[in-house]
Formats: sequence, structure tokens, C-alpha cells
Amino acid sequence: MRRLLRMSYLVAGLGGVGFFAMSVLLLGVWPGRTLEEQIRRTQPEHPLAPTASEQRGRIIYGREGCAYCHTQQIRYLENDVKRFGKATLAWETIFDYPHLWGTRRIGPDLSREAGVRSSDWQFSHLYGPRTVVADSVMPAFQWLFDGAPDRPGQEARDLVDYLETLGRDRGLAGPEGEAHARAACNCSDDEKRFAYGPGALNASTSMTRRTGDVPDLPSGDAARGGPLYARNCATCHGALGEGDGKGATGLHPKPANFTEQQYAPDRLSFALWNGVDGTAMPAWRELDRADLAAIAAAVRGFHTAQAEPQIPKEVLDLGGRVYADRCAQCHGMNGGGDGTAAGQFPIAATNFHTQRPDIAASLRALRNGIEGTPMAPWSGELSEAELSAVAYYVRTFFAGGAQ
Amino acid sequence: MPESPEHASSAAVETPLVYAHGLAALVALLISAGFGFLAAIELLVPEVAGSSPWLTWGRLRYDHTQGIMLGWLGNTFFAFLYHAVPILTGRRVTSPKLGQWIFGIWNFAVVLPGWILVLAGYSQPLEWAEFPLVIDAFVVLALVLAIVQFLPPFFSRHLEDLYVSSWYIIGGLVFTLFAYPMGNFVPELVPGARGAAFSGLWIHDAIGLFVTPLALAIIYFVIPAATRRPIYSHFLSMLGFWLLFFLYPLNGTHHYVFSVIPMSAQIGAITASTLLGVDVIIVVTNLFLSLRGTGWFPRDPGLRFVGTSTMFYLIVSIQGSVQAQMSVNQSVHFSDWVVGHSHLAMLGFASFAALGGLVHVWQRIPWARYHAGLVNLGYWLLLAGVVVMVSDLTIAGLVEASMWKSTAPWIESVRAAKPYWIVRMLTFLPIGAGFFIVMIGLFAGNPGDGLRAIQQDIGLEPVKAIAPQYAQEVS
Repeated sequence: MRRLLRMSYLVAGLGGVGFFAMSVLLLGVWPGRTLEEQIRRTQPEHPLAPTASEQRGRIIYGREGCAYCHTQQIRYLENDVKRFGKATLAWETIFDYPHLWGTRRIGPDLSREAGVRSSDWQFSHLYGPRTVVADSVMPAFQWLFDGAPDRPGQEARDLVDYLETLGRDRGLAGPEGEAHARAACNCSDDEKRFAYGPGALNASTSMTRRTGDVPDLPSGDAARGGPLYARNCATCHGALGEGDGKGATGLHPKPANFTEQQYAPDRLSFALWNGVDGTAMPAWRELDRADLAAIAAAVRGFHTAQAEPQIPKEVLDLGGRVYADRCAQCHGMNGGGDGTAAGQFPIAATNFHTQRPDIAASLRALRNGIEGTPMAPWSGELSEAELSAVAYYVRTFFAGGAQ
Repeated sequence: MPESPEHASSAAVETPLVYAHGLAALVALLISAGFGFLAAIELLVPEVAGSSPWLTWGRLRYDHTQGIMLGWLGNTFFAFLYHAVPILTGRRVTSPKLGQWIFGIWNFAVVLPGWILVLAGYSQPLEWAEFPLVIDAFVVLALVLAIVQFLPPFFSRHLEDLYVSSWYIIGGLVFTLFAYPMGNFVPELVPGARGAAFSGLWIHDAIGLFVTPLALAIIYFVIPAATRRPIYSHFLSMLGFWLLFFLYPLNGTHHYVFSVIPMSAQIGAITASTLLGVDVIIVVTNLFLSLRGTGWFPRDPGLRFVGTSTMFYLIVSIQGSVQAQMSVNQSVHFSDWVVGHSHLAMLGFASFAALGGLVHVWQRIPWARYHAGLVNLGYWLLLAGVVVMVSDLTIAGLVEASMWKSTAPWIESVRAAKPYWIVRMLTFLPIGAGFFIVMIGLFAGNPGDGLRAIQQDIGLEPVKAIAPQYAQEVS
């Protein structure tokens, strides 16, 4: 009897080991094989392996615990897909040793971070998160920098390089890659819907667009816009709209100074809806239209109307000649920001139909250029008289009315 | 003062090692809780650490959980094992000398350097596996040595006499040795989604195969030892044990529901999570029926911690079964709800069991100091802290989940969570004070007060009389 019992305990002990082995097989090895098969079927011909710098950035990302607040996994769920983009496929993480999926989202998911923000925004955000995002709780990673947000050290550059790989491969695979994966994927209709369905690969509402629709914003209420501006815009543009918020330090070009620019309503709604491509100004499609209209009203309110001086005709004529000679290539013959060279620039040339700088701002831009943009300084090329003439001339294009 | 080998404080117990591990456990507890507190503050005042990389949130977060699991619970389990294994088996552990090695490796090659390396920037971004690989090697070594230290006494005795605590001890040590390398090494070798599948397994095995079995070993041990009554049903205890070791490892994938990991694995894990709730009901029923009518609550602080832990175990397990369900998981996953859940598990269930076990074995060290009043006070502070913290985080999770479902900008979910984070940070006051006061309670009073307290109550349990009560009479 005792022998039998002892035998049964032995069997039970082996059974226990068997339970563990079964769990590893059922939930580790077997899904791993299925995933491997799925990866083989769906991955692009040549997925882009990370560079040495991007690999180092990945290690920094792991070391600083980024994955403990930012997931890298868009789930097969309506809400995830709507907020972040198409659900994460198995092959998208094939270079991740170890994976960085994460199980907590204090900050947003980063699976599709590539191309969402400008690198000066990323650096400023890493150096001082609250200088660009009010009320952020992210730690400041100042030791990755040489004392300023626009002086990133090697580690900060590596980290931002790494961030730019997140979702990159899927984007590079293009429509052909998506179609191939969709056809080859051995998955349910439900999975197909979330991973390959209609809609943007990257659903980020902050991603800038060079061209895009301009929403028809209702008329805004500046009183309501004030607090919204303070909450969302003041970190960079400053509490009084002077372009001198804390976030401005590390940004090139600097955030707009609203006190010395007059904007047509279109201009503001376009910038709010699509961001300013090539700069740190993100799009704000996450806010509803009434809020955007209110913010636009608050922004317009920062500009104080000044008495317009009468400019002699000969000054404007001189300005016109200099403009045609020097400025029209980029800013367009008629000041619409649509010159033949404009399309080559990472940042759109100013459209003077919808934006009118005050004379001081206009002169300053001409003399010094605009840092961080293709706008060069003209003080060495043009005489004082020419500078001043063209500064006046560009202001005549404005068609924004008295708004 | 009673000093007779007949008693549970007898010579077979490696008293100095119980004391040393107990002391290390309490120190590690205060430090680990401190890491958690700092991290909680930084969520509200992110600038508080200045520009030093050493105290940045991510690194504190790594050290908090690793310290709790390895430094606090690991040391407490060792302290308990040096007391319980000789009593359960009637034999000494393999070697006190080996015990010094294990103590040294665990604390000075694992916990302390692990903390420092993480703060210095050497770590592994895997949950419950944050200490760097070099530390993991020492953990595995220590686990092997622990098996050499604690398991032979069980096998030099008739196996059919094994009490359920013995089963949990054997199972816990052996399966942790299997599971630990799987969670710490495999994801470094297997990339992305495939590695995540193994990572998910380990996240649950850390709690299911290391923390839970040893915490249950403590609960099953302390209840009969302190009440002088055998547990209600040995059959239920064994049923619970086997179901636990069958079901716990199958839970892992529930951390990645709605991921790209094959749906059948997800559904399997969700099913196992549901059944696990049933298993815990069986275990807890058995434990509560054992406590019934013993006056456990006012009777003995160790027993009270253990009984409260049993209650938390029931709640946290049913919560776990519920949140594994797809309909719930899709909302609360990634939110503070889960942070609340893990605090209910590690603080409410595991740490209360560990404190109960530690107080129990401490009282039975003949020369250790003990102050019942302080331990009592600590209990109430901890109870209040845990209940408030977990409720607060659960509500925070629901708030976050509803913000994420709306079209509100992401930062609004952070803004909405802040009031709850303030409460969570403040709950450190009772919790930190509770830990500290319990610790003082174990170093104040007169030497031997612990034993005297037991004697005045119901008298010391004689080893010979109680050992058969642990064991199931079979033949």
C-alpha cells in the first residue's frame, strides 16, 4: 500500500513538471511557431534592420523605463486602432531583443511614432517634457544633453533616432506591402479589419500635413479660447503669445510670435488642423472644432492693430522690383507662398495673402533671416532702402481683412 | 523562559538564519517601499529628482518591484523556511554554512548590486525581470542552492506524510528555478511578439510559481500552528495545490489579450484565469473553515496578518478572473486598475502573508525582541493603507479607461488621473509607517517577549504534538 502511494506521489511529481512543460509549450513555444509562420508569410521582402545608432537608442529606451509608460503594441480593438493606427503585426517587432510591448499606458502608445513629431520637438520634450506639453508627468532626461534642449548628446540623438524607427518599416512597406500581407495573412476577418482595414496606418492626430483640408471652423469665442490656449499652446508660444514660452528655447524655427503677425482665419485653421509641416508645431485634430475656433480667436487677439502708415508709391515700386527679383522664387509672384522653388523646401514659404507681419517683424526677418527655415538673411545683399521697401511691399498682399 | 527542544522554537530551527533573513527582509521592505513612494511622488512632481539619472522614475520603478519580490518576499520566505522546514520534516536543513552562502548571495550578489546596477543604468526592460542578466545568474545559483538546502529533509522522510505546506515549498522552489530563466533569458534570445509570449508567461509565473506557493505555504503553516487545530480538509488542500500548479502557469498570455499572439492561446489563458478563480475559492474556503471559531482575529498578530491575507487572496483572485475576461480587459488593461490589482496581490495578499509568517517565526526565536502593541498598530495602518490605495487605483483605472474611449486628447487622461495619484502617494504614509512600526515592534520590547506572549495565551506548541497535525494521516 505504502509502495503504491509512494509511486503515486512520484507520478504526481512528474505530473507537476508536466504541467509546467505544458504551459511553456502551449503558451510559449506553440504560439511562437505560429507567429514565426505568420511573420514569414507577411513580412516585407526586406525589412529595414535598425542601424547602430538606433540600436543604442533602443537600449536607452529600455534602460530609462520608457516601456513602462508607453506601450508599443496597438491592440486589435476599435479604440486602439482609432487612436493610434492599424493594429501591430507580428513582423513589426522582429528586431526587438527583448520586446518592449509594455503593459501600462501612462503616456500614449508609441508604435507609430516615426514621423509624427519634428526632431527639435522630440529633443525639447526629452529635455523638459513640460516645456512643450503642459501637465506632462514624464521625467526630464537632461543627462542625455549638453545643458540645453538644442544641444543633444550622442545618447539623446540615438534615442530620437530609435523613436523614428517605431512603425517605420510598416510605412515603408507601402500599399503593396499591405496588400501582400493582407493576402498572405492567415487570420480571421476580425483581425484583418483591425490590422489591414481602411483608415490611416498612423492615426496620430498630431501628425503634420503639408497639404490638407481646411476645416470650416465656427466663429470662435476668444474668452473661451484663453484657457484652452493656456493649456495647449502657451508652453511654446508663451502666455502672451510672444513666442517665448519655455518650449521655445530648443525649437528651430522659433514658435510664432502672435503679437506681431496678423493672420487670416484660413491660415490659423489650417495650421491648427494640419500643423506646420517641418516645424515643431503639431496638428491639433484631437481638439474639437469649437475649441480650435476659440483658440484661433484667442491667437488673433494677441495682435494689436496699428495705424498703417501711408507708403509712398516709389517705395512700393522699389519693393516690388526687389521682391520680383529676390523673393518671388519662393514666395510666389503674387506673394502666395507658391514660388517655383517653394516645393523643394522642408518648410513652406510664407503665404503673404493669409499672413501679414508687422513692419518690425518683416524687417527683422529680411535682415536676419529666420533661423531654422530656408529664409536667408538679406542684409548683405540688399541696401537699407531696399530692405525697408520690400518689408513694406510684402505687407500689401494681405487679403485677410480686418479679422 | 522555556528553552526546551520539545518546542517549536527548538534547536532544529536555524534561529540565526531566521533572524538574519528576517532582518534583511524588513530592511529591503522599507527600501523597496521607499522606491515606490519616490516613484509615486515623481508622477506628481516630476522635477523632484532634479537632473540626476540615478533617481529617474523608470529606474525607481524597476527597483521597487524587484526589491519587493526578491529583497522583501525572498528574504521572508527564506526566514520562514529555516523555521518551517525542520518542523515540517523533523530534520535539520542541509547546512547552516550553506545558509550563510545563500544569505550572502541573495542579499549581496542579488538584491543590493541589483538595485545599484539598475540605478546606474544597467537593467533589462522586462517586467518582474528588471535586474540585469548578470544578477539573474546569481538568482539562479541561489535558487539551486536553496533547493539543496531545503528539499533533502522532505525526501528523507516518508513522502506520504507531507503536509500541504511542504508541497507548496517543494513546488515553489522547483518551479521558480524552471520559470525564472524562461522569463529572464528567453526574451533576450527570442525577439518581439514571440519573446512577449514567454515574457507574459513569466509575469504570471513570478506571482504564481514563486510568490503564491510560498505565501500559501506560510498561511497553511501558521494557521494550524497558531490555532493548535489541524486544517479543515487535507483533501481540499491537496486539490487546491494541484489545481494551482496546473492552472497558474497557463495564465500568462492574459497580459496580452487582443495582441497578435494567436487568439487560441489568449482564449486558453483566459479560460485558465477563470478556472483559477474557482481554485482559489476552494483554497480560501478551506482556509476560512480552518480559521472558523478559533478567534483568529484578536488572538495573535501573526495569525491576523495571515487571515487578512487570505481574504485579500480571495478578492484579488476573483478580480483577476474578472479582468482577464475580454469585455473587461479591453477597458481596464494598461490602466491604473491593473496597478491596483498588483498591489492588492503583492501588498495585500503576499506581504500580509509574509508579515504574518515573519511575526510568527520571530516570536518563536527565544531571544528575539517583540512588542505586540506595535505590531498591532502596524497591522491597522497597513490594512487602512492597502484598502484606500487599491480602491483609489481601481477608480483611477476606470477614469482613465473612460477617457481613452472618448475623443479627448491623451494628456486629459493624465490630468484626470492626478487627483487619484495624490491619494495613492498619500497612502504611503500609513503603509510606510505600518511597515516601519511592525519593524520596530520586532526590535522593541524585551528579548523573549514573543515566546512569553504565546505562553500566556495558549502555551507553546510542542513540536511532537503538532507535527502529526500538519501531516495527513493516510495509512
